[in-house]
Amino acid sequence: MRLALYVTCLVDLIRPSVGMASLRLLEAAGCEVIVPESQTCCGQPAWSAGNRPLAAELAKKAISELEGYDYVVIPSGSCTDQVRNVYPQLLADDPVWAPRAQQLAARTFELTTFLADVLKVELPLADFAGSVTYHDSCKGLRGLGIKRQPRELLLKVRGLTLDEMADCEECCGFGGAFSVKFGDISTQIVDRKCESIAKVGADAVVGGDLGCLINIEGRLRRRGDETTRVLHIAEVLAGEES
Amino acid sequence: MAGAKHSQAMFFQARAGEKIRNKVLQKALQKAKPLFVGKRAKAMAALPEDGFEFEALRSACVDIRNRVLGDLDVWLELFEEKAKATGAEVLWARDGDEICDLVIDVARRHGVTKATKSKSMLSEEAHLNEALAAAGIRPVETDLGEYIIQLAGETPSHIIAPAVHKTIEEVEALFAEEHGRPLETRTSADIPAMTREAREVLRQHFLSADMGITGANFLIAETGSAALVTNEGNGRMVTTLPRVHVVVTGIEKIVPTLDDFATLMRLLPRSATGQTISNYVSLLTGTKQAGDSDGPEKTVFILVDNGRANLLGSAYQEMLRCIRCGACMNHCPVYFSLGGHAYGWVYPGPMGSVLTPLYTGIENALDLPHASTGCNQCGTVCPVRIPLPGLMHRLREEQVERGLRPLGESFALKAWAWLAGKPRLYRWVVRRASRYLNWLADDSGRIRILGMAPGWTAGRDLSVPAGKTFHEQYAARKRA
Repeated sequence: MRLALYVTCLVDLIRPSVGMASLRLLEAAGCEVIVPESQTCCGQPAWSAGNRPLAAELAKKAISELEGYDYVVIPSGSCTDQVRNVYPQLLADDPVWAPRAQQLAARTFELTTFLADVLKVELPLADFAGSVTYHDSCKGLRGLGIKRQPRELLLKVRGLTLDEMADCEECCGFGGAFSVKFGDISTQIVDRKCESIAKVGADAVVGGDLGCLINIEGRLRRRGDETTRVLHIAEVLAGEES
Repeated sequence: MAGAKHSQAMFFQARAGEKIRNKVLQKALQKAKPLFVGKRAKAMAALPEDGFEFEALRSACVDIRNRVLGDLDVWLELFEEKAKATGAEVLWARDGDEICDLVIDVARRHGVTKATKSKSMLSEEAHLNEALAAAGIRPVETDLGEYIIQLAGETPSHIIAPAVHKTIEEVEALFAEEHGRPLETRTSADIPAMTREAREVLRQHFLSADMGITGANFLIAETGSAALVTNEGNGRMVTTLPRVHVVVTGIEKIVPTLDDFATLMRLLPRSATGQTISNYVSLLTGTKQAGDSDGPEKTVFILVDNGRANLLGSAYQEMLRCIRCGACMNHCPVYFSLGGHAYGWVYPGPMGSVLTPLYTGIENALDLPHASTGCNQCGTVCPVRIPLPGLMHRLREEQVERGLRPLGESFALKAWAWLAGKPRLYRWVVRRASRYLNWLADDSGRIRILGMAPGWTAGRDLSVPAGKTFHEQYAARKRA
């Protein structure tokens, strides 16, 4: 099975360890993993801003570089949502690109969905000593129905306990450009998330979308919480690189 | 557009900041949110016990609303015919000013000097209270929340809980002054006493008003009736005691049959307040007939367009399915950070972020469609499956198409997209950016002020990695 790993632009720049962890996980599961070198960004920022032509340009670029594989795996709910749900509607009126967009959408999976629902093999998971609480990111949860998969995987990690926080399905306030354009509103929203995290008192808050995680981490630290770890689920499942 | 003159939606950013810094408001909002969300969740969880399934009911409600919107002119004509047959008068208003003119004209024809009102968001679209007062007719709001905000000289901050932004201390201060008594220290245990106080004042108004003004949750085409869904009983007082009853409502509120109304009622109160049914559901049909113990001598329907007809057949038609339950705002993280007044016009929350630009001009509400994280909590709870984030997204597209976005934003987006289309150059720039962020970070690997995204670092740090970009690490791993 040949699959393409699309690491996302945010992981590339802000948290490369998420990409490396995803790579190790998929390889350990027996997949032949290729990281297409021309990948840049799925175009979500242009789409969210309402700029259809720019979003379509980047969608076509991504389709061209990702369509030759059995699967495409992305360690992000929102970028996967972009490929699976947005590309087909974005290119729906283009007779050449619409079918290509649909084919790619059907083969593209968010990391935990791919591991839990498509691959379904026993993974050599790392150990984790401590408790975690899981934040359900909006696009993953409401766009792709990701809820059970990350929890199933986390519960297989030796030493890990899962403590659900209140309102784990509530938005963290990131929203891409929203958190920059409306920084103070975003802060207000992420404060409520931080309070839920503090209340449950887990050692780490874990999620599947780096955008939400850097938002939550940034606010936790600014509020003076220096100890709660903020981890992408790939980092928990694969552990630190040995 | 007509509504634009009253809209403050262009000042969303500034108003939002004000609301965030208002500690009293924040306290009121944080108290209300779990109540709204919890009650709805409980009601929906109990649906199977009542023999229903949410998605099936939702589909039925969507079908009813779509059927009406598909032939709205036909249903409106049928309603007009049936309503006239019951003795009611049916008038049509293009915009808010016409609503005011028509209501004042009806009032003058019947010698009205005081009008009691039951909650109506459409009268907010028209600024009807101001127009009535200017014409020498005293409007008295009788919904408890509306009564409170009328005393405060404010507008509703929520479509079903208009005074949700007020704390008990603020209400007590208003009541003490209005009711001419000393200020007391109140807790939630005193709410029944405070309500009784308002009832006593309102009772006099109910008995002395010449005209009752209400909205309508639905208009039933087959019977020519107005349906009112209320909890306080004031709606009944307003519609049965005065000589004249005026119903002001939007043309999209039609449903074909009483059966359809019953179906929609399965989801409306559950979505709004978590009730299986509201305390009062009134079907008001025509005028007082021989043998009736109460009812108005004169019933007037004012059916209002005010921008609605423009949405028919447009990319936004689905918005007209809205049954005004408020679930979208009750589940909106942005709404509950600000309250409704920040949105600057009649409708707040996700529905407002769609309706305000559509009814008052896209160019007059540029921030609203962007004031959303795209979380889709609203779309998930909407009883008539309005794709609210999708409609906000379409409005963003229209802003781009019409060149309404700031030049800096358009340029940055184009430059970034151009770069993202050049992988080798992109790699190089990301490597430089990675080094730059690293250089900006302090000893703990964090950036506390980032010049290019001050909105971000005003409230949070940005942790940056000490190492290299993913693609550098991947290339090194391949070489090894």
